[in-house]
Amino acid sequence: MQSAPSLPALSLLLRGAALLVVWWALTLGETSALGFGLGVTALVAWLSVRLFPPSGYRLQPLGLLSFLGYFLTRSVVAGLDVARRLLSPALPVHPGEITLTLHLPEGSPRWLLANTLSLMPGTLSALLEGDQLTLHCLDTREPVEQDVRETERQVARVFGLSLNDIGRAVQ
Amino acid sequence: MIDSAVIAVQVVLLVLGCLFFAVGTLGLFRFSDTLTRIHALTKVDNLGLGFIVLALLPLAPSLAGGVKMVLIWAAALAASATSAHLIARAVHVRPEHSAVEEAADD
Amino acid sequence: MTLILNAVAAFLLLTLLIALIRIWRGPEPADRMLASQLFGTTGVALLLVLSYAQSMPALMDVALTLAVLSVLAIVAFVTRVVRIEQPVDDDGGRHD
Repeated sequence: MQSAPSLPALSLLLRGAALLVVWWALTLGETSALGFGLGVTALVAWLSVRLFPPSGYRLQPLGLLSFLGYFLTRSVVAGLDVARRLLSPALPVHPGEITLTLHLPEGSPRWLLANTLSLMPGTLSALLEGDQLTLHCLDTREPVEQDVRETERQVARVFGLSLNDIGRAVQ
Repeated sequence: MIDSAVIAVQVVLLVLGCLFFAVGTLGLFRFSDTLTRIHALTKVDNLGLGFIVLALLPLAPSLAGGVKMVLIWAAALAASATSAHLIARAVHVRPEHSAVEEAADD
Repeated sequence: MTLILNAVAAFLLLTLLIALIRIWRGPEPADRMLASQLFGTTGVALLLVLSYAQSMPALMDVALTLAVLSVLAIVAFVTRVVRIEQPVDDDGGRHD
């Protein structure tokens, strides 16, 4: 295992490389635009490190991959779920709100969880205050909390946080 | 032979995408409150967009074109999730407040 | 394929128009702001389909811009019209 990247230089390089890939796609691989793109991506990467200093979290490629798979399948389920409710004549919804205490640390992990939950079946992030997340639920009779905890676990893996760390962070 | 199979899959995906968009619009009318409507818009429409993007991918002129389309899809997803949260938050914080009077005293 | 794509575009435009009725009826400002979200998804899909149907790759850039701008519109709405950043008295605004 490598140590966490505390060097802004590494973040600068990684962000610059990611931005360059985006530039390449947006210009449809146009080679004549690449020189200009290099300048722009360098500038934006520098600016992003200035405005959003590296948080100390390191994205785990495997965790990210597993998260993407989870996210894609669950968003399909979410879409089908709402469609099914909408198309049934009885309109089986039971809206309500629940408030949960999040186990994830502040910053990007919580933010990613809140945004992800808005696209997951039956949940919509309404308010995030500290570690309290209020969710609007399409059907409060469903095991919402269980789903949220599973999503939380997936998000934790993206940032390389283990469940035990999360458990300890609660106290 | 393979070409027609690809086209068949594309057509199926396009039809699915259209169906989901139609259901999303239906949700705007069938659901009675704002928050539930946001559920319909975000989840169903994003699935519709996903199917449309998948259907269009074989038409992309180059690898970069395909990546660009996936990026647009990701941007739309992020935009949708963020918008949903912001509107939900606004409704949640002041549920009974109509913002008309707010805007008026500006 | 072009014909199919044009049909899909027309259909998407139709769903967008029908949804606009809802937006027009409101009644809450938040309901109206759903329009911005709607353009963020249905509008993007429509533009992507059209960019291939009409062989206009530039429409793809329009789609991307639309997706990004839709968030900005919502941010403007949320901070200005509803002004959620203002402290709300603790019991007054909540309903749980």
